[in-house]
Amino acid sequence: MSQVAEATVPVASRRPAARPSARTARLILVKIVSAILVLVAAASVTFFAQLLVPGSRAVAILNQQTGRAQLWTPAQLAPVNHEFGFDKPLIVQYLDYVGGLFRGNLGTSYTQYRPVTQVIGAELLPSLELTAASLVAAWVLAIAAILLTAKRGRFFSALGSTWEALTASLPTYWVGVVLLVVFAVEIRIFPVIGGTSAWGTVLPVLTLAIPLAGFLGQVTRDEFEKVLDQPFITTARTRGMGDTAVRLKHALRHSVLPAITLSGWAMGALISGAVIAENVYGRPGIGQVLVNAVNTRDVPTVSGIVLVVAGVYVIANLLVDIAYALVDPRLRAS
Amino acid sequence: MSSISFPRAGALARLGSLRIPVRPGTAVPLLIVLLVTVAAIAPGVLTHRSPTAIDIEHTLLPPSLSHPFGTDDAGRDLYTRVVYGARESLGIGLGATGLAMSIALLLGFIAGLAGGLVDVVINRILEVAFAFPVLLLALLLIAIYGPSLTTEIVAVGIGSAPGYARMVRGQVLNVRKAAYVEAAAALGHRRHAVVRRHLFPNAMRPLVAMITLGVGQSIVWASGLAFLGLGVAPPSPEWGALLDYGREYITTSWWLEIMPGLVIVLVALSVTALGRTLQHRLEGAAR
Amino acid sequence: MIRSRFAPLAAGASAVILSALIAGCSSGATGATTASGDSSAIAQGGTIVYGHEQEPPCLYGGWLQQAYIDRNILDSLVTEANNGSIEPWLATSWTVSGNGLVYTFHLKPGVKFTDGTPLNAAAVAYNFNYWEKGGNSTAQVSMDPYYKSATAVNATTVQVTLNKPYLPLLTMISQAYFGIQSPTALKRSAAANCDDPVGSGAFTVKQWIHGQEVILVKNPDYTSWPATALHKGPAIVNEVDWKFLPDAVERYESLVTGETNVIYDVPTVDWSNAKANFQVTQYITPGKPVSIYLNTSEGIFTDARLRQAFAYGADREADVQAAFHGVIPYEGNPSVSRATPGYDAAVAGAYPYDPAKANQLLNEAGWTGRDAAGYRTKDGKELDVRFPYPAGSVVTSEGTSLLETLQQQWKQIGFNVQLIPETQAQTFAGAYSTPNSYDAQPWYWTSPSAAILWIVWRPSTKADPNYSNSSFYNNNQLSALIQEGNTAATTPAADQYYGQAQAIIQDQAAAVGLYDQTMSIAVAKNLHDVWLEKSQGEPVFEDAYFTK
Repeated sequence: MSQVAEATVPVASRRPAARPSARTARLILVKIVSAILVLVAAASVTFFAQLLVPGSRAVAILNQQTGRAQLWTPAQLAPVNHEFGFDKPLIVQYLDYVGGLFRGNLGTSYTQYRPVTQVIGAELLPSLELTAASLVAAWVLAIAAILLTAKRGRFFSALGSTWEALTASLPTYWVGVVLLVVFAVEIRIFPVIGGTSAWGTVLPVLTLAIPLAGFLGQVTRDEFEKVLDQPFITTARTRGMGDTAVRLKHALRHSVLPAITLSGWAMGALISGAVIAENVYGRPGIGQVLVNAVNTRDVPTVSGIVLVVAGVYVIANLLVDIAYALVDPRLRAS
Repeated sequence: MSSISFPRAGALARLGSLRIPVRPGTAVPLLIVLLVTVAAIAPGVLTHRSPTAIDIEHTLLPPSLSHPFGTDDAGRDLYTRVVYGARESLGIGLGATGLAMSIALLLGFIAGLAGGLVDVVINRILEVAFAFPVLLLALLLIAIYGPSLTTEIVAVGIGSAPGYARMVRGQVLNVRKAAYVEAAAALGHRRHAVVRRHLFPNAMRPLVAMITLGVGQSIVWASGLAFLGLGVAPPSPEWGALLDYGREYITTSWWLEIMPGLVIVLVALSVTALGRTLQHRLEGAAR
Repeated sequence: MIRSRFAPLAAGASAVILSALIAGCSSGATGATTASGDSSAIAQGGTIVYGHEQEPPCLYGGWLQQAYIDRNILDSLVTEANNGSIEPWLATSWTVSGNGLVYTFHLKPGVKFTDGTPLNAAAVAYNFNYWEKGGNSTAQVSMDPYYKSATAVNATTVQVTLNKPYLPLLTMISQAYFGIQSPTALKRSAAANCDDPVGSGAFTVKQWIHGQEVILVKNPDYTSWPATALHKGPAIVNEVDWKFLPDAVERYESLVTGETNVIYDVPTVDWSNAKANFQVTQYITPGKPVSIYLNTSEGIFTDARLRQAFAYGADREADVQAAFHGVIPYEGNPSVSRATPGYDAAVAGAYPYDPAKANQLLNEAGWTGRDAAGYRTKDGKELDVRFPYPAGSVVTSEGTSLLETLQQQWKQIGFNVQLIPETQAQTFAGAYSTPNSYDAQPWYWTSPSAAILWIVWRPSTKADPNYSNSSFYNNNQLSALIQEGNTAATTPAADQYYGQAQAIIQDQAAAVGLYDQTMSIAVAKNLHDVWLEKSQGEPVFEDAYFTK
């Protein structure tokens, strides 16, 4: 059936970017500009939100340097205020910050004296690896569960959907601690301190992927079963297509749309979950940097991280749009 | 797809006449949700002890008949603490989801119906909102306002809203293009009547399950926040706080970590299951 | 189709499996041990993997977390031995002038920093001035107002001059905060000094992978070990991987599986298991114990009777024992911990649990009403105690449990104690540091001598505020006694004055004792001679070696 369908679709629309016209170019430009605006807006919101936090940043910096929690005399605070520019008017500080953004400078961390790009950079990659791997693993687990158990009789169906509902209800770090104790301490398959090695990433990935797989699975299963009831599926079967082929080639493609939409949102959930997984497994990552930065009122670092997360979203959404176009022929035509 | 048919308006309002048969598959989740509700409203019904009653003589006892979930390191009965924690945990779940859905409905409907520039602007706002995962929002809000039940509800609510808003908008767009809506408009039905009687119920129906899923997820999220030290103040026996506290005891007094975790899982599971049952019933009634 | 029929069944089954697996762990994990007493052949080289808890923002500074690392890469002038006496380190000998104002240190010749700069008197003097000008605020506050100047007399003689005699000086400068850094290095940028302090110690910083670990490598040219060192010479191991594992469960289990050789802070629940399988050392921190500051300047605790009722009103000793499973000692002395020289043990016995006495005091003070919840009232006002505490950073989850237990007991005599957990953000922002923001707050200070009394209890004046005086307790008699102690000529004389000072603080219940701040390490059985520095409890790796 798919061969027939592809033969009748005009060649040009199979590759939508084949001949970029002026209109497409303008569309892309608009997308880029709006993406930049979104990023700047996100960074600005963070910047001002942090200024709302009660207490003075200079106090937080001095306290953090000594591990204490006390007030400081104006004479002690003055050099700190001057060094970091806190004595300038707020609007000037904001404009300085945004100006720096456009020059590619995310500012300097208040507590580590290093550029924010350095602070984030080293730890960004492990987090991204963890997030991306978890998303992929979640998809694999969800699809496997659906393919194996959807519409295969009462018992298996129920088992599959129960498994999904169960895993979607698991708190992340509960899973993390349980997996750690069972598979790293008792049955020593995986290391306790995973670091960034591939083998040591398995448990953190599972910690994040299992609940997400349940969530994605639930959403997709509904669609999958509805699609399996469709007339064109029956047609394919009567034409001799095997059950596995039907599931893989047709049903899956039509049912993954809602889950693809959710994958964009899932990235955010994964980033939040990554903090927990990084904490439980002692993995370096953005999570710990973020928590520390908020705690120590390291404004440039927090804003920098928000910027990065927003950037990840923009890219993720672009990918989702592309995935949509690939998966749903109806969207391709438009 | 099926031929044109007019879905019954106000399907939600006719829930009472649907007569959901009480089978074991529905009964158990229903029972669990009822128990949790009772625990939230009148915990004294389910346990005669106090959640803060310390007993230094009987610390760290494993589960037994007199202490079904065991005791913690201050001798407090864990089962009682779980029962009393239901109010706050359920409160977070319902409050956060309610807030998220309110925002999502507002933004999603406006964007879906108005279209054009309004839609574009709202989409951009949602994209900015997406840059703030629940955790980050919680960190910032708690840094500003301090940890409390309200802050957690607001953080989880606002953090989940963009995702739901996207979905609502998608549904509205779908339904808007549906044949029966066009037909209703063609027949001259007034715009707000069309929205009220056709658009809204049909856009919302597939989301019923999402709402209940959301309640479960919010409860789970709140426990994650407690893990990072952003939970509510002690001696609150909120489930997330219990989970966070029980972590160190996992190899020596496992019940402190396992029991609250099981409760969270069971409650989230039951709420989700009920929601799906409800959705199936509604979809069945709509056809 | 109803799928959820099996949900509870499946959930129950999973639960049973999980619980069985984990309950099976309760019997206690086995440690990674090698049979001790086998071949005691010392293995040269090797890498120690150390699981520490908290990562500091910079590797040098005034925070205890920084002292931990600095002890291994910097040398100080003197060191404190386990019996409290001061022993030579970079300074091979020293003399003190008759009036106690001039300290002359003779340095070991030929010592070099790892960047090649010679460690001479000029370098030492440079460091003193650097600390005084704020290079290390903890060092600074330990020396003020006694320090006057430091000068290099010749290449190996440095003279430190004081304004007033200060007996604790030598003990204070034995801390890693007073580690000597290369002046050449100190002139670099703040970022460079943050990442890579340069000293003359047994190890140098090879690399700092933020969020993961600091890699220290052996300094092969090490010549300046302290007199308390367990062996003479450079470090035996080649490398120390100083890992940051903030989660206590993970940290302990990493030792159990052998992925680390030493860890910091054994969770008290695992204490007995650890003692059976590893070499466990507990260190009771000298200084101010974890005790509750009571706000004497505003609110209900301006009345001494209420403070005393608060002290009598809860069974602090039994509750501490229970909360920490007997591992962390109860400390009845609110101002000085038992590991501090000058500690007065007699003071610690005050305020045993006596609810009758507490009730009597409260009645005397006029709080005779009771409201519906059982809390006392006076003139229509409820007896509320705002009790913020630094959650996570200072007070662990067991500490929180302790506070909850105390809260219940205080409730019985009529106090409404409102526990307010402070997030780290709030703590660093100084959220609860003003007199109008709390009634009671627990904190500790680390300090190797009773000079901590001056740092904490010096009266706060407008001209010279003391923000460390969190009880806002200004008592000039107390102040005079502490100063006498600091400037006394002999230790017994000083201890006399310190004892009197502690008695005043206890009698007036300006603070209420809880427990000593402690830390611990657990070492795998095939790693030997890891020891804890006396002044701050830093783990020292320069003498450590593996056996096969």
